[in-house]
Amino acid sequence: NDCYSQSYPQLYEPGQRSLYFSKGAFIKCALHSCYSSLVLFFVPYAAVRDSVSTDGHDIADHQSFALLTQTCLTVTVCVQLGLDLSYWTAVNHLFVWGSLGMYFLVTFTMQSDGLHRLYASSFPFVGTAHNSLDQVTVWLTVLLTAVLCVLPVVVHRFLFMQLNPTINDKAQPPPPRRRARIRRSSTRCSGYAFSYAYGYGDLVTSKRFLRRPVPLRSAGSTPAGRSAAFRPAGRSAGYSPSGQ
Amino acid sequence: MMASSYNAKEEDGHHSGSVGPGGPGTGKSKKPDNTAFKQQRLPAWQPILTAGTVLPAFFAIGLIFIPIGIGLFVTSNNIREFELDYTGVEMSSPCFNCSQTYSWNNSCRCSVPFTLEQPFESNVFMYYGLSNFYQNHRRYVKSRDDSQLNGDKRFLTNPSKECEPYRMNDKMPIAPCGAIANSLFNDTLELYYVYPNGTKTAIHLVKTDIAWWTDKHVKFRNPAGNNDNLTITFQETTNPINWHKPVYELDPTEPDNNGFINEDFIVWMRTAALPTFRKLHRIIQKKDSLTPTLPPGNYTLDIAYNYPVRSFDGRKRMILSTISWMGGKNPFLGIAYITVGSVCFFLGVVLLVIHHKYGNRSSNAEIPN
Repeated sequence: NDCYSQSYPQLYEPGQRSLYFSKGAFIKCALHSCYSSLVLFFVPYAAVRDSVSTDGHDIADHQSFALLTQTCLTVTVCVQLGLDLSYWTAVNHLFVWGSLGMYFLVTFTMQSDGLHRLYASSFPFVGTAHNSLDQVTVWLTVLLTAVLCVLPVVVHRFLFMQLNPTINDKAQPPPPRRRARIRRSSTRCSGYAFSYAYGYGDLVTSKRFLRRPVPLRSAGSTPAGRSAAFRPAGRSAGYSPSGQ
Repeated sequence: MMASSYNAKEEDGHHSGSVGPGGPGTGKSKKPDNTAFKQQRLPAWQPILTAGTVLPAFFAIGLIFIPIGIGLFVTSNNIREFELDYTGVEMSSPCFNCSQTYSWNNSCRCSVPFTLEQPFESNVFMYYGLSNFYQNHRRYVKSRDDSQLNGDKRFLTNPSKECEPYRMNDKMPIAPCGAIANSLFNDTLELYYVYPNGTKTAIHLVKTDIAWWTDKHVKFRNPAGNNDNLTITFQETTNPINWHKPVYELDPTEPDNNGFINEDFIVWMRTAALPTFRKLHRIIQKKDSLTPTLPPGNYTLDIAYNYPVRSFDGRKRMILSTISWMGGKNPFLGIAYITVGSVCFFLGVVLLVIHHKYGNRSSNAEIPN
């Protein structure tokens, strides 16, 4: 939050150095996607191949397999999202669990008998959710897929946090103190993180960022000069975020 | 950009009446309400990955997954399954002659003997399996008319365009239309138990309850009217090109299994997801809790070999299988759970060692302030 950002200005260095938006980051993301895609198809494939349901009926048919893969994907995405969300308010809880619940609600509605009786050709998946989502193996497959997809991410993050902690990890306070603190200090500091402390007024009216002496202009017409001072590749001369 | 910072300064308490829409003096403040929701101060939970949360989680996952995996593996091993390939590709196979000759009029018969080593308890399910048969081809999956199969009379005589080229035959509409219905599996399988003295007894095969309830009662309906005499209902239609008999003669003895609601037809119309699949054909019901349903011994499978698979290098199989709480025999889930559980446990140990040796380096005192 803003109080914490003021005490640790080095937190802005990774962004200025493009640490999170580089070719290395892209390749890592692509590898993770490839691995997740392979897991999300081949685990359900192997789980229902040559298998049948608990009363001997089909479970490896086109529609059930599609539903199984889709459910694996939705649950895995929600778990991964939960891992990435670092600030869980009531709104976050509502939208994450609500998404999952909405998925099941819409699936059961679209595959219900009533809609099929109205428009038979448009809702051919009638009965699929009812017949396949009451199988134990289907839910065990979903659980296995979610764990397999999320496990490497957790291991990778934890390992790097232990061996090579970034500035973001080092600046984390221990959790129990943090939880108590966020409630008490909420009246003092708002959650909106200001990236500057005092605004640009005194910067602009002083002539510090101008390279050559120019005639005094009004405050509203110096956009070019301001962007020159705001080079993303490192600190510019004479300007520091703490407003000195 | 300058305007936004000017407004930001305003929020700190400097009120300027000229910014509001109401004009100077009566300017409505643009400042948001000082509620927790609008100032983004809602109470929040901030989970972070510490050793205290990650390591117990790994050990917990390991301890939960390994017993589940063992349970699944043991259950799968206890399921009895027997597979018999009767395509007749090898010259020594009893069905070799049938596989080489394919004639439209004559049905070839062959008989394959086999032996069951172990008894099959409780209900035994008989499946037919096909290999290299891509029921999941996109154009094939779409080649059906669900409205016609639902008993809608408008589509009985005017099937959907998706069924092309299996929509009309000699200007008569085909019922049921489409490529899926046209390729209906039409082998008949009969099972006989052979006593040690050589006499055979037929094993009773039940042909109902093999399709999903929703399929039989909701998705597939015969067109209304004349339920006892489906010949009249379907009189303006003709049977699919590859069928020997029309749809109202699929099971004339039982009106509840005739026409579109024939269970073998329904099971076939539920397209499979993979090129090697099995579909439920018959059920052998258990007699009582003392005698096994299929005792160990010699058996014979009598086949009316109608379905040609050699043209696409396919294979036909008959499978006998028992069922458990996890379904059919599939050791993959059990092995996967045991593997993932062990890997998790091992990773937990490794991470604990790493944390013990290299962790505790991260502390606030290290950051120059």
